[in-house]
Amino acid sequence: MSRLLRVELRRLWARQVTRWACVGVLVLVALSTLAAFGTARPPSDQDVQAAQDAYASELELWEDEGDQWLAECEEGAEAEGASPEEWGCDDMAPRLENYLPPTQTFVPDADQLAMMYGDPEVNAGDDATADAVAEIQGSVWNGWGGLGTLDDVSTLLVLVALVVGVSFVTAEVNSGSMGMWLTFEPRRQRVYWSKAVAAAVGTVPLVLVGFALLVGATYATYASFGTLGDVTGAVWGEVAAFTGRLVVAGSVLAAVGVALGVLLKHAAAAVGVVGVVAWGSLAFGYGLGEAQRWLPTTALTAWLQGGAVFTVEDCAPTADGVFECVPVEHVVTTAQGGLTVLALAVVLTLLAVLVFRRRDVS
Amino acid sequence: MTELDGGDLAIETRGLRKTYRSVRGRSVGVEGLDLRVPVGGVHGFLGPNGSGKTTTIRMLLGLVRPDRGSARIFGHEVPKRLPEVVGRVGAIVESPKFFPAFSARRNLRLLADAIGAPAGRVDAVIDQVGLTGRAKDRYRTYSLGMKQRLAIAATLLKDPDLLIFDEPTNGLDPAGIREIRQTMRGLADQGKTVLVSSHLLAEVEQIADTVSIVARGRLVAAGRVADLIGGGSATRSVRLRVAPQDLTIATSVLETSGLLVRREHDAIVVDGAADAAQVNRALGERGVWVSELAPLQADLESVFLGLTAHETPGGHTHKGDRTRRGGPPPEPAHAATHGPATGADA
Repeated sequence: MSRLLRVELRRLWARQVTRWACVGVLVLVALSTLAAFGTARPPSDQDVQAAQDAYASELELWEDEGDQWLAECEEGAEAEGASPEEWGCDDMAPRLENYLPPTQTFVPDADQLAMMYGDPEVNAGDDATADAVAEIQGSVWNGWGGLGTLDDVSTLLVLVALVVGVSFVTAEVNSGSMGMWLTFEPRRQRVYWSKAVAAAVGTVPLVLVGFALLVGATYATYASFGTLGDVTGAVWGEVAAFTGRLVVAGSVLAAVGVALGVLLKHAAAAVGVVGVVAWGSLAFGYGLGEAQRWLPTTALTAWLQGGAVFTVEDCAPTADGVFECVPVEHVVTTAQGGLTVLALAVVLTLLAVLVFRRRDVS
Repeated sequence: MTELDGGDLAIETRGLRKTYRSVRGRSVGVEGLDLRVPVGGVHGFLGPNGSGKTTTIRMLLGLVRPDRGSARIFGHEVPKRLPEVVGRVGAIVESPKFFPAFSARRNLRLLADAIGAPAGRVDAVIDQVGLTGRAKDRYRTYSLGMKQRLAIAATLLKDPDLLIFDEPTNGLDPAGIREIRQTMRGLADQGKTVLVSSHLLAEVEQIADTVSIVARGRLVAAGRVADLIGGGSATRSVRLRVAPQDLTIATSVLETSGLLVRREHDAIVVDGAADAAQVNRALGERGVWVSELAPLQADLESVFLGLTAHETPGGHTHKGDRTRRGGPPPEPAHAATHGPATGADA
């Protein structure tokens, strides 16, 4: 088995597809770095001046009209039976920070994240869920710049690993060299595992180096503009943990790619199935309600980002007989997401092993 | 029973059956095939297209699962115990299939490493098939002949005792065919067993020691080539020429001697003679002198066509309208023939 594995690893890295995948990862890093240049640059003096001018103008207006606006707000709140704070009447005065262009940092700023997400709606009395949602949305992997953009880019890395895994076996099936291979090693189960493990192990450098380059290039870009933000040991710890989860996800998806390749025999079909599942999950997942937690996309996001939040419409008749729907956030934890992805990979792999053992090879 | 029953067998199948499912129902690939390939020498595996040759080879190599029956290679049941014997078997199934983007050397090195062959073995077999100068070139740039030679090199990596070549000369030019033929004969002369399936009967006839002929998945004949083409027959056909004015008397003399005589233009063909001397003696005793006397020997192709012509749709063989050479197929007295309706012998 180890001999076969070594041979398969050598073959994997000698393949043109693997080399093109490396080129693709480098292009991804280059594009990501280019995007980082756009977001890492702090606002120029002209931008700040323009913001200050706008703020001064608004402040002048507020001083003239503010009392009237405030009174109208409080009246409105009272008419609806709400407190002025609930209507935001206490936060109507213009503030300079709201006019200044945001400065993106390598480590997303907590205040900016709060602006992005606001306070999540949660099931009444479910403080644990509320805390989990807050923790996920407040993580460094959420934000408009820096690390907050890398989670999405790194998802592409694991998809590259999947494509490498698919191509690894479909090329053999389509060229007919699988038959030649089996005349040298007829123990099909060994052959399958050597390919699956080779894909899982062989794509680790691709994902690992790719993500290291992404983080390194992004860090360097933000550092060059002096907009790193609050880079602490805890942040690097989270980056390390994310890297570990990413590498595991890449390996598992490469093995899933091998399984899909064996089952469907054609790379286009296998990649197409993955594409349709991903697109369908994103486009129609909301309609699945609670079942969203079992979607591969939700599970993968949860595993990679340390948890995922999805929304379900909670509809019920109110006291005055109106049917009202309230969006309620739910959480998929890292462990739940990881287990779902793993279970999917195990099922596909076992199915592929079964098929590979029994299938006639041309 | 056939003469191939005696001695050790490299390959033996019993009642091998394989069917394929399709939208149009089930089609039979191999039906109750009993194949026996003796150890040593070249064994030709003949049959029209779709007669089950490649399917049989695939079943022997574990690439296809038989529905029924058993197969053994060097006494090991396959595919169950194929791993124990696969190191002694080198095979090319249909056209050579390697990784197109890899060089010949890289392709062979991967295979060699998979079986733990020594590093020097790759260059040795590449040299053996004359590809040293192109070893670093990508496989996809190879001509068909070079691909075949590389495939042979791959089979030699294991230094196998049994080599299985499925249509090894397909698409090759005459020089390539001759080269492959010499290679196969050379391997057999080294003591290896070579099983070769081919349409080119003349090629097989030149190198094969024994043959099996299949049609519609069944064995229809098996034996030594010499036996099948009439070399061991008790009677012979002879063509002779005499002076034109002696044609009538010669015919009469031979018929009087109890021989079957027919005219072919200005020649006389005699069937059922013990040997050519019997014919010559009979005519000489009556003062008729023969100007040309040639024993007629059927070739393997005529045997093959005779056995398989009615096995293909419309009664045609894959050879279409090819003219039979020689006379009618002789009785294969020392070879086993099997009626297709009754299947292989038990």
